[in-house]
Amino acid sequence: MTRGFYELIFREIRVLVKAPWIVFSRGLFFLIQIFVFAVLMDRVVDAPNFDFFAYYSVGTILVTISSIAFLIGHDVYEEAETGLLDYLLTLPFSRRVYILGRCVGGAFRSMIYVTPMFGLVAIIRGFTGVVELLGALALLFVLAFGITGLSITVAVTIRNQNRFDVTLALLELFMIRFSTALYPPLFMPSAVATVSVFSPVTMTSDAVRAVLQGGEASVLGVGGLVAFVIVFFAASTAFYFKRIEGGYFH
Amino acid sequence: MITFSGLTKTFKSTTAVNDFTLDIKDGEIMGLLGPNGAGKTTLILTMATVYQPTRGSVSVDGYDVTTRPTEVRSLIGIAFQDPRFDRLLSVLDVLEWHAKITGVPSRERAHRLESVMKRLGLWEIRRQRTWALSGGMKKKVEDAKIFIQCPKVAVFDEPTAFLDVPSRLLVWDMIKELQEDGRTVILATNMMDEAERLSERVAIMNMGGLVALGSPSDLKQTVEGSEVLEIKPTDLDHVDLSRLKLVPGVSKGLISNDILKLFLSRGRERIPQVMDELRQQGVEIESLFLKEATLEDVFLKYTGSNLS
Repeated sequence: MTRGFYELIFREIRVLVKAPWIVFSRGLFFLIQIFVFAVLMDRVVDAPNFDFFAYYSVGTILVTISSIAFLIGHDVYEEAETGLLDYLLTLPFSRRVYILGRCVGGAFRSMIYVTPMFGLVAIIRGFTGVVELLGALALLFVLAFGITGLSITVAVTIRNQNRFDVTLALLELFMIRFSTALYPPLFMPSAVATVSVFSPVTMTSDAVRAVLQGGEASVLGVGGLVAFVIVFFAASTAFYFKRIEGGYFH
Repeated sequence: MITFSGLTKTFKSTTAVNDFTLDIKDGEIMGLLGPNGAGKTTLILTMATVYQPTRGSVSVDGYDVTTRPTEVRSLIGIAFQDPRFDRLLSVLDVLEWHAKITGVPSRERAHRLESVMKRLGLWEIRRQRTWALSGGMKKKVEDAKIFIQCPKVAVFDEPTAFLDVPSRLLVWDMIKELQEDGRTVILATNMMDEAERLSERVAIMNMGGLVALGSPSDLKQTVEGSEVLEIKPTDLDHVDLSRLKLVPGVSKGLISNDILKLFLSRGRERIPQVMDELRQQGVEIESLFLKEATLEDVFLKYTGSNLS
């Protein structure tokens, strides 16, 4: 159990390390987001006592980690298509360990992507409390874990490539855009503001901001985030058993 | 011991494996022959716990694949027909990870990795990403995973596809060495020479079922006419197979790849009668060749189709 679990996590990280151009391009995208887009938006948004740059810089981390966590669904889908999944399923660990390893590995991979960006934002924003920084990182990890589970669930339930791509893109869009990651509820149309409460990205985003500013995260928000993780980890496990062990037919 | 007992695997309305029963002895090399779609891969993947049986059971070393899947997985290793590894990783990454996750002891790992890679000619390219390798090299990496792992049950699916002749001979030697080391080997192949050379017994599958089982020489004996007279006529249109089958000793006749094949006994004695019959049919002969039945002929007899 332990060997398989750690090796699955190690594999996710090794694949990431072997593709530095992805890290580089994501990093560049992040820098443009905060040093160009966020600065411009800050000049455009004219709201009293509201620093849009400060808000947006934290939000960009949420968006980046969410996008990266969604990527594992594409990996899993491609593995099923190319037959690599068959190989992985013949290896000596249980299905539960396999899925747990993939989810934790995917979450670690996402964390490795964003930690330097997070560090940069912490420096710019002057967040220096170690406990607060670790708390925020832990929340980001939980979000990445949940999105990885969601992404794997979608990958094993939809067989058609186009439908899979569209579904994952829509989910990503709704979860991120209908959330408080990049804009506060104040600026949102009321319908969007209402829906955004249910997005796990909102729950994490609000909790991370609260923790970084030395406050306390909402129990309801953190509870919702944990529920999201549990539901999609359970769903990905269940669908794996049903769809894979029931048999893909080549 | 691997036991397939009435194994059936269906996917919606498609039956990929149908009531398959077979015992594979410890330390045996079992050849598994069948055309594409015969059910070989489904059979292997069910044994490997990737699929669950629809009916029947499979056990490996006493462990049932449904109730004790993790134990089964710890006993087997599969070299797939199409190489299966992360394309971004290097040869060394792929093999090292496989060795670690399959539990090759750390004190032996480095030695085994180096020794297998050197034998297969992978050592010099161990730092190369696998996506950049040729088809033959990728196949060697896939096979190398199992040679490094040394599982109790080693499954090779077309282990020498894309390999040149020296590499094929080497891989065959290495498979034999696995067996000599007490491992059980399942060899799924379409290459007759490979099956004949390595397998102690051969199971022929067709349309999901087991149609023949035995040693290559025993199976050849089961062909009614153990010899095959291959005739290349100038014009196949004039050949009347039904009349040729009336020639004494001819048990079966068929046309495959523009060659007329007559399965018969005591071939040398029958040749003049066959020639007479063809002459009466107005068929001229371009060439004629008498050969002992091969495993391919056995396959043809049992399935009525070519292996390709």
